[in-house]
Amino acid sequence: MNQAAPKRILVADDSDTITTLLETALTAGGYEVLIARNGFDTYELGKSENVDLVILDHLMPGLLGLEIIERWRSEGIEVPVIVLSGVDDDRTVVSSLEVGAVDFIRKPFRLNELMARVKQRFPL
Amino acid sequence: MNGIELLRIAVLVVYIVSGLLLSSLIVGKRIHQRRQLAHYRRRAKYLALLSRGLTTPDLRVDLGPRVAEDQAFLDALIDIRTSVIGPESDELATFVGRFGVMEGYARRLRGRLFVTRRLRAAVALAEVADDSFAPVLMDHLGDREPEIRIQAARGLARMHWTPAIDAIVDRFSVENPWVRSRFEDTLLSFGSKATWPLIAYIRVNHRFESPGSAAAIRTLANLGDRDAVTPLIDILGRASDIEIKLAAIETLGVLGVPLAFESLEKMFTAEDWRLRAKAATALAKVGDPRSLPALSSGLIDSNWWVRRNAAQGLSRYPEGIRRLHAAIRSAFPFARDAAAEALADAGEVIAARQRIEEGVPTDEDLELIEFIQSELVVPG
Repeated sequence: MNQAAPKRILVADDSDTITTLLETALTAGGYEVLIARNGFDTYELGKSENVDLVILDHLMPGLLGLEIIERWRSEGIEVPVIVLSGVDDDRTVVSSLEVGAVDFIRKPFRLNELMARVKQRFPL
Repeated sequence: MNGIELLRIAVLVVYIVSGLLLSSLIVGKRIHQRRQLAHYRRRAKYLALLSRGLTTPDLRVDLGPRVAEDQAFLDALIDIRTSVIGPESDELATFVGRFGVMEGYARRLRGRLFVTRRLRAAVALAEVADDSFAPVLMDHLGDREPEIRIQAARGLARMHWTPAIDAIVDRFSVENPWVRSRFEDTLLSFGSKATWPLIAYIRVNHRFESPGSAAAIRTLANLGDRDAVTPLIDILGRASDIEIKLAAIETLGVLGVPLAFESLEKMFTAEDWRLRAKAATALAKVGDPRSLPALSSGLIDSNWWVRRNAAQGLSRYPEGIRRLHAAIRSAFPFARDAAAEALADAGEVIAARQRIEEGVPTDEDLELIEFIQSELVVPG
């Protein structure tokens, strides 16, 4: 019986608390996880690795999250992106969705809710 | 020994001492860096463990008996606690509770020595403990250390432990301003449940002390519960202390209920200019058009702040803007100045200039611009 390869998720955040937590939760959920801690690494990994989903912090050193999405989209990289942000204003939400993010989650977040949104991206 | 030999010995001693100092600095720095690295590694280990504990609640693991004493563990716990909300926070407390960590922190907090360790324990309980530890935090609302008192209040607010409201409010009269302001912030977490304890406190204490009562009144403004309006009107009428009156006027303005109009209008005729100035701002905020005559009369008040606030208040109403334009023709120069400033702040000067450029000015626009320009002319 062929088993589908696990979905690859890139977690991009400069906070090791968030990356550790998400890596643990996503791995337990059966996903393969890549980690990036700054904007430039995130951009490069999104370009070079064949990831199925990106969970992206809005504010990171190097490149901002929205800049990364804009660059990917201009280069034809259409990977779905969930933006994770501690910035609590509607303008950030709207900007994220306008540049091509598929979802927006505010920090602090409910882990169960985030996992449900990730699972929803990969319907059986 | 002659002088030169003594000098040589002195130089040698200086070299040796400097060398020792430099060596100890270098060694000390290396030790510090190693400790930091070890701390970082332990913290990363605890982060991974706590993350697994959140995602696998039945996880069997031994945290070790002394984990509560490890600052790295506390750092990891707080970092995770501030990253997630909702049921996961409770799961974190449950997971950590299995290892007796919170009991360890409670014991540490009850200790008498080592303020830093006690404070760490208070922070841990405030951030993570469940409400079975509320009695411990209640006991420490009166702790001798102000920072521990603040953490105790924070923890009780996070737990929404309503019996703590009265205890926190009761401390308003004895706390220093810094601790009191932090207590005010924690009361906001309780929402409208804090309203009546605050009102009860004010009613009893406003005759005896003003800083705590004034702070309690301002907390009502931040809570925004309009149930406080009627009691505050009563307190404003009874209070003799000027600070309490000022706080009550300000809060009634913030709550913005027209019911307060008559009390505020009465304050507008008070002898003390501070009450009149505050009342002018509050009258504007309650949004009752009956304020307009009072605010217009404020333009000829003897005090600059009253005139300014009255003019700013008028600018919030369309009819008020018309009254300000009319005040440009006032016989009182101070009234003209206050009106012109408020009109400028409201954008009327820019709008008037624009209409003049477009060739559609009103008489009021021309009057306003002429007044502004005449005020800018430096007498020769």
